[in-house]
Amino acid sequence: MADVAIETVTLTIDGVPVTALKGTLVIEAARQMGVMIPHFCYHPKLKPDANCRMCVVEIEKVPKLQTSCSTPVAEGMVVRTATTVVNEAHKSILEFILANHPLDCPVCDQGGRCDLQDFSHESTPTTSRFVEVKRIFQKEYFSPLIETEMNRCVQCLRCVRYCDEVMDVKALAPSGRGTMTEIKHFSIHELDCEFCGGCVQICPVGAITSRLSMYEFRPWMLKRADTICTYCGDGCQITIQTKENELIEVNSSHGAGRNNGDLCPRGFFGYHVSTHPDRLQHPLIRRNGALVQTTWEEALEFIAETCLSLKLAHGPTAFAGLIASRCTNEDLYVFQKFMRLVIGTNQLDSSARYGHINGVRALLRVQGTHRWTIAFEDIVSAHALLLVGTNITETNPITGLKVKEAVKKRGAVLVTVEALQPAIGTISNITNLAAHHVTAHPERFGDAVLGLIKGVVEEGLVDPSLTQRAPEYVKAISEAVRCLPWSAIEQATGSTSSALRAAARAFADAPRAVILVGQGVLRAPGGSGVTTTLLDLLLLTGHHGRPGCGLAPLAEENNDQGAVEMGTVAEFLPGPGDLTDQAVRERIAGLWKEELPQTPGRTLMEILDDARAGTVKVLFVVGENPVGTLPHAARAKEALERLELLVCQELFLTETAALADVVLPACSYAEKSGTFTNTEGHVQSVRQAIEPVGESRPDWEILSALSVLLGYPIEYREPREILKEIRSLISGYGLLGPAPIPPRPDAAVVEGYLKKGFAEDVTSRYSLSSSTDRQAGNLTLVVAQSLFHSGKLSTRAKGLLELQKAGALALNPADATLLGIAEGDQVRLSNARGQMTTSVQVRDRVPEGQAVFPEHFDQEVRRLLSVSPDPQTGAPYFKTTQVKVEKV
Amino acid sequence: MTFGEWVKTITFYEILVGMKSTLKHLINYKPVTLQYPHEKRTLPDNYRGMLALLRYDDDTEKCVGCDLCAAACPSRVIKVISSEVPGEPTKRFAKEYSMDMTRCLFCGLCVEACPVDALAMTREYEWAVYDKRELLLNKQQLLAIGDRSFQVREKRLELQHPNVAFFNVSFKELPQKPS
Ligand code: SF4
Ligand code: SF4
Ligand code: SF4
Ligand code: SF4
Ligand code: SF4
Ligand code: FES
Repeated sequence: MADVAIETVTLTIDGVPVTALKGTLVIEAARQMGVMIPHFCYHPKLKPDANCRMCVVEIEKVPKLQTSCSTPVAEGMVVRTATTVVNEAHKSILEFILANHPLDCPVCDQGGRCDLQDFSHESTPTTSRFVEVKRIFQKEYFSPLIETEMNRCVQCLRCVRYCDEVMDVKALAPSGRGTMTEIKHFSIHELDCEFCGGCVQICPVGAITSRLSMYEFRPWMLKRADTICTYCGDGCQITIQTKENELIEVNSSHGAGRNNGDLCPRGFFGYHVSTHPDRLQHPLIRRNGALVQTTWEEALEFIAETCLSLKLAHGPTAFAGLIASRCTNEDLYVFQKFMRLVIGTNQLDSSARYGHINGVRALLRVQGTHRWTIAFEDIVSAHALLLVGTNITETNPITGLKVKEAVKKRGAVLVTVEALQPAIGTISNITNLAAHHVTAHPERFGDAVLGLIKGVVEEGLVDPSLTQRAPEYVKAISEAVRCLPWSAIEQATGSTSSALRAAARAFADAPRAVILVGQGVLRAPGGSGVTTTLLDLLLLTGHHGRPGCGLAPLAEENNDQGAVEMGTVAEFLPGPGDLTDQAVRERIAGLWKEELPQTPGRTLMEILDDARAGTVKVLFVVGENPVGTLPHAARAKEALERLELLVCQELFLTETAALADVVLPACSYAEKSGTFTNTEGHVQSVRQAIEPVGESRPDWEILSALSVLLGYPIEYREPREILKEIRSLISGYGLLGPAPIPPRPDAAVVEGYLKKGFAEDVTSRYSLSSSTDRQAGNLTLVVAQSLFHSGKLSTRAKGLLELQKAGALALNPADATLLGIAEGDQVRLSNARGQMTTSVQVRDRVPEGQAVFPEHFDQEVRRLLSVSPDPQTGAPYFKTTQVKVEKV
Repeated sequence: MTFGEWVKTITFYEILVGMKSTLKHLINYKPVTLQYPHEKRTLPDNYRGMLALLRYDDDTEKCVGCDLCAAACPSRVIKVISSEVPGEPTKRFAKEYSMDMTRCLFCGLCVEACPVDALAMTREYEWAVYDKRELLLNKQQLLAIGDRSFQVREKRLELQHPNVAFFNVSFKELPQKPS
């Protein structure tokens, strides 16, 4: 950590003097100078266990061989890694392992990249002295996705330790003694865990392998492409391994990317989407009411002709565009340039509107940044972490691992304000690690936050220098929270005032504190307001602006942040710069050598309204699927059916694409190059792994081709050229580095907020949410993200379908008993808007009175939901509703 | 030069020695050229002829689809597509196996590499064809060559020794891998 003086020691390894940090293990010091000491049980991510004895070295003045994986370096130490004694030791350890090893390398998927193979080749003879019968374990079925062959296990316990130390899942355990030790899982039938694939990746031999790619490859056949996962905003680096244009497997090497080689099930098992047989291979055009295959020329010419004539008749305001923030920055940039220059309208929006925009707007308002002011490293080294409305394990699993590391390895205090309650389950539950936990109702995160602020004020934890700097601000807020009665807060949050005060104190007392805000807040009514209030909390406790402290809204989609920065949301130009800011407009117009359109931007919901009203007649949709995402109450289908021209660029024939007049096949992330910007604002390279499927083309290329036909060519040779242009607008954009350099809060903006800005909505933000008590017998239905899926895209990944095929309603055991429902029963959910039937899962982590349903499957759940746009940010809210649950 | 050497030089002694051998062959004449195809040579035991895939005595294919032959081959003759055996979960085999014999050097490295002795070199060499494509052999063709060349077959591997009892066997009670 930054406040510890760095001490180094000098030692000699194999005759070479080395300087290493104090506390470094000998094995690591050797690795740094390029000497690989053979090892099985050691892994830099795990605490040393020193159980395999493979890493022994000779250390001068120490009588016996020492395990280098558990010996820290010391001043003047003399280490020898390759003496005869050491080699003999390696030989005998390997001989012991091989005595029981099946040596089925020819059929073992690890063959060719197996540590045991490599070390054996180095040190042992090709014949064995053992003639006894080998140890043979009963074959145990693990799961559809993870295969185990315990006869190959070298009992290093890396898998068990990874699952516990890093994942906090604890699904695996050794059983038996000595050579008969076998790795087992705790579940009764199949392995039931997070399926992060970590044990598969970390097993040094072929004892745990992936069943998804079983027997499809040999490691030396694989071509690697380091790219970025598209399933959430964490932006994990993945290596897609392909064989002759076929996707074989995904992994991530230790130390790679922001995820440091850790993945979640979506990243590890969800890669088959790109080669799904339903991928659109050819352009489709509507003839006599049906979509039929056509050629690119015909499709593009049809679009161009129709656009030109409609533009002539109705002007550019009849056009609008929607893009998914799963696209690369390059796609997003070209899309908004296409809409603004070729079409001449600002009426465009992206899926960042669903929630991410709320966080960005709050950050801009209070501190003038559109990004986090912290990086993942700051989460790990924080002393206190406040998580609000994020079921982080399921929405942003890798950011979740950073939180787990901070808490488990570094002893950070975790405060959670979550809709979940602490409970042991098959997947890790972040609230279990919390020192202070508030189980907030999903519509009342704001109330819990107010409780915390009231705690801060009443405990006298307000930063004195802030009181000096902005007395009015502190006074206004203190008064506002004093007016809120504890009784009302206790009733709204179900927590006692003393618990809230204690949580407030723990947070305020920490030298470095970080707040993570998740979908529960960002995608719920008042999302931007609650985020602003959380920034107030940072300001009041004096953390705001301190290095390593900050508030971080978690992006749901992989490039939500990029969508905002590329200016593909209604209110922003690339930068992001305000659409109405004259200086920004002039600068961009100067670079584009073209005037920007004057029309105001329109948000997603406004565009749909305009389409329904008939003022928008042409809609370009790139990867977005409003019909499939929004509830029926949003009447998106009705809106799109009224359009005169609907053009979709898509991977699959989605609900939206099925309504289109022209569907253009687009490339998935595996088939194109570009950049994604992750939730912390790190711009990372996406690299092509396979050839485009069918006739599909990258989105930017399609738009570029259209622009030529529309008489205003915006052409690029390759994505890098687009990035260069982006860089001319936003200096330094996407200069790839190992870690992002977070921006600092803009002092002038903070000052403005403290002096005046806060006042405009302080009363509305500092009042408890009007209580919408549910009627007796009703449950609050929460539509939430599942760990095993992301959006609708992942439901085409065969691996993830093995983990979760359809949605099921998760209920608290108490509610289930009350309703007379057991696990697996069918229930009917109904409310005024409609009804659906589904099966039930009983889960301790779901609080009483709530029912959680995953949002990924096209089940009737969207019928039950209502939708309301945020009055300020236009974000559509449709995550919770009231339902009646009955057994059928 | 000694006297003896001088005598040999002037009497052309070395030439006479050579002529003696020539004259001997002239008298005991035996033809060397084989009248192929009416006559055929006896092949040495380690003759490296046409390649073949083998089976165990219960007719199951020996090849486990490990791809090691393809990795060993210096001229990229072999292509193996491995997968799980349909109906036999966790067992591996070569779903497709082909050899482009136009490129084969008959070096035998693939036979050396095969861990289960599934490959062998037969004594067949009469493989002249009018169309080169006929030398692209698939798994069935290669197995047929093996069948006709080797009458004696080995016992199944897992029945040979308890230590290999778990080598590439199927577990019927397990589900097939996801497809
Ligand atoms: S784990 Fe390694 S040594 Fe053992 S069978 Fe697999 S490849 Fe061979
Ligand atoms: S896949 Fe991940 S969560 Fe499951 S057992 Fe392996 S390490 Fe643990
Ligand atoms: S399964 Fe792999 S990681 Fe786990 S103990 Fe065995 S060899 Fe080690
Ligand atoms: S004999 Fe040699 S060249 Fe022919 S297939 Fe085998 S390894 Fe390849
Ligand atoms: S080496 Fe033998 S077992 Fe392996 S693929 Fe070739 S023929 Fe089959
Ligand atoms: S690696 Fe050191 S004892 Fe296992």
